[in-house]
Amino acid sequence: MIVAVQVLVGGLLLGAVYALFSSGLTLIWGMMNVVNFAHGDFVMAGMYLAFLAVVWLHAGPAVFTIAAAALMFLFGTAVYYALIRRVMRGPMLAQLLSTFGLALLLRYSAFWIFSANFVTLPTTALSGTVRVGPIFIGVAQLVAGGVALLLTAGMHRLLTGTALGSQILAVAEDRQAAMLMGIRPDRMQALAWGLAAAAAGVAGALIATFYYISPTVGESLAIIAFVVVAFGGFGSVPGAMVSGLLIGLIEATSAFYIGPVYKDVVVYALFVAILWVRPQGLMGERV
Amino acid sequence: MLLEARAVSKAFDGFLAVRGVNLEVAAGEIVGIIGPNGAGKSTLFNCLAGEAVPTAGRVRFDGADVTAAPPEAHARLGMARTFQIPATFTDVTILDNVMVGAFLRHPGVAEAREAASRVLDFAGLAGVAHLRAATLGTPGRKRLEIARALATEPRLLLLDEALAGLTPSEIRQAIELVREIHRRGVTLVIVEHVMEVILALAQRIIVLNHGEVIASGAPDAVVNQPEVVEAYLGRSLTRRRP
Amino acid sequence: MRWRWTLLAAAALLAPLILQGSFYHRVLALVVLAAISASAWNILGGYAGQISFGHAMFFGAGAYMPAFVYAHWHAAPALGLPLGVAVSLAIAVAIGVPTLRLQGHYFSMTTIAVAELIRILVSNWPPLGAAVGLQGPATARTVWDLTFRGSVTYYYIFLVALAALLGVTAWMERSRMGYYLRAIRAGERAARSLGVPARRYKLYALMLSAAFTAVAGSLYVVMIGFIDPDSGLAVLISVEMVMVTALGGAGTLFGPLLGAAILIPLEQTANVLFGGSGTGFTFIFYGGIIILLSLFEPGGLLAIWRDRVVPALRRRPTPPVRHAA
Repeated sequence: MIVAVQVLVGGLLLGAVYALFSSGLTLIWGMMNVVNFAHGDFVMAGMYLAFLAVVWLHAGPAVFTIAAAALMFLFGTAVYYALIRRVMRGPMLAQLLSTFGLALLLRYSAFWIFSANFVTLPTTALSGTVRVGPIFIGVAQLVAGGVALLLTAGMHRLLTGTALGSQILAVAEDRQAAMLMGIRPDRMQALAWGLAAAAAGVAGALIATFYYISPTVGESLAIIAFVVVAFGGFGSVPGAMVSGLLIGLIEATSAFYIGPVYKDVVVYALFVAILWVRPQGLMGERV
Repeated sequence: MLLEARAVSKAFDGFLAVRGVNLEVAAGEIVGIIGPNGAGKSTLFNCLAGEAVPTAGRVRFDGADVTAAPPEAHARLGMARTFQIPATFTDVTILDNVMVGAFLRHPGVAEAREAASRVLDFAGLAGVAHLRAATLGTPGRKRLEIARALATEPRLLLLDEALAGLTPSEIRQAIELVREIHRRGVTLVIVEHVMEVILALAQRIIVLNHGEVIASGAPDAVVNQPEVVEAYLGRSLTRRRP
Repeated sequence: MRWRWTLLAAAALLAPLILQGSFYHRVLALVVLAAISASAWNILGGYAGQISFGHAMFFGAGAYMPAFVYAHWHAAPALGLPLGVAVSLAIAVAIGVPTLRLQGHYFSMTTIAVAELIRILVSNWPPLGAAVGLQGPATARTVWDLTFRGSVTYYYIFLVALAALLGVTAWMERSRMGYYLRAIRAGERAARSLGVPARRYKLYALMLSAAFTAVAGSLYVVMIGFIDPDSGLAVLISVEMVMVTALGGAGTLFGPLLGAAILIPLEQTANVLFGGSGTGFTFIFYGGIIILLSLFEPGGLLAIWRDRVVPALRRRPTPPVRHAA
């Protein structure tokens, strides 16, 4: 019983991190109908940035998380201006190829720079476990989950409760109308990319404290993001929040009862299942 | 009754774009649908054409219930449509564009090509058959749009603002083309902003505002009705600029 | 047009005699193999416009079955080919039916997820060799074992397969299916309004593509004699198919051939010169090229040739194009 609770809590905490980076993916999708195939590699980049911050600057968790956020924010906006803005207007082939090519570029650059071996962060202030009631939770996991939850909620609040957020949502809803209202769609879309990349980067930095860091991490994280977004509804940040937690739970439970190797299989199969049964995010219109 | 829409409504997230619209089109008629911007014309059009499924009501074509039928089924049954912004297949030749439509009734490549050539002749596009469709300007693309839909040999043709953005002489040519299509036995439902066109072509029009039919009848009569004038309040009834 | 293909066929037939030696012969065989995979991918990605990033799953199905029938029943690997095609088709239908009715992005995402799913399952399933993989026959028992010394025999077998695939593709191009696929790619909404059963035709393209990709996989395993998740189901296999086709020119008959002829020799040379790290660098390079293609010319080298170089050379307006870029 205790073990079950332990597994569930672990799953929820990781799920919160999934929610964080998936909310970025869903925001981009909702705004400009673009799928970022490189999203998992954005998280990977955040992990390596954290690693470098620790190794070069002996930075603590707070510092490297902020560093990852800031650098990835800049990277995200750069990607928008240099690549996305142009291919958005082009044929589908170009759109799909663009972020896929970006994924390859990031992934294999990481391979080249860091080699295929995984690394882990040296002991930080977040090492060790803490006892909460009858169960033990790793401090790093607890902090990661908690911070992720706060940030995702914060992103939702930013989007729905601030002037800037309304501008972003306005562009997502109706680009033309937003333009007529004096909002600059390009700027808002770049901002959305920056936010999404920053969210992914932070997620990466947060889990870097307890995850194995390797260049191929992005492959599976990207698919998890797809699943979370499909479940929660393409374009819905609150949806990503809830389904992130759900997927985290499902993954942890599968790992525990079926085996760690198969946890991915369950989650990936869920993705296909949801598209078979109810591709949420579609407004019921014929596609 | 060739086309019948009964109490058709379409809601988007709670917003009712079309409310309880009734429409009857008999074979051989030319019916016009007009209304100010945002009146729900496009939505109604999409419901009739099978691109959108009405949230309430039924659509019948030639006795068959097509309410939830996909666009392909509509085409097979004999209802074709054009798009407001011509959805030309730009990287393909003009002949190939029309052949896609012709294949519906002529499965063989040679037959389809034959049939498509005939349609191009009829539409006055024979000379440019082998050029890439991207080389056409807007009037050409609109004409191609109509030709392509005609190639499916429809009994009913839905025209979605097919004449918007044309010069006066282009409009006159287009009106002639539409008249010729009608003479060949095709029933027409025309959504239009350009009053000149509606008055010239439609035998009967319905006026939509806020998703509802607010008037219907003969064009000259309807156009002067107070509700209709009010619906267009503040807008002149001249040709809309794109 | 005909004479160009005759010339190409002649060059292909004579190539092993001009480029002698086991290294060249092996590269030639791999070029043709890559051309087959890419041409198969091209039917779905180039002609129908549905971009699959997980085609390795079809390749793997085709590669594993011959090894499987040999490993478990000591049957000739050739018998595994139809089995591989069948498995491939089953996967194609399972993912095609739900996703091809949605926007293109969903299909692409699904191919990534399902390919990974299959790779993980196979990596952990002992009957398929799990992570270790399966071996084919070491020496030929009969000719149906398709175990030959040197690469030349394989090269010619592959050429026959490629010719067959190109024949099918050319036929498809000129048939109603070709017109319909081009229309779907150019504008699915409009195509459907003209009566094109878009879902069905996309599924046909997917099935055709999956079947031929499986054939490529089977040909691979009979030549190499060994298959494991890395060589049969890895993401890199999918990437290479996309890369080869996109570089050469998606949606054209010749594009995948051009792409294969350029990239495979480069890859093999990089491997020899730089070893393992050469492979890593190759994919950074591929990522960059794909980005550049998406930004400037999604139609690949053939489109650059046709739309920019030829008009400049002949100084006349763009010639009419039958193929969508």
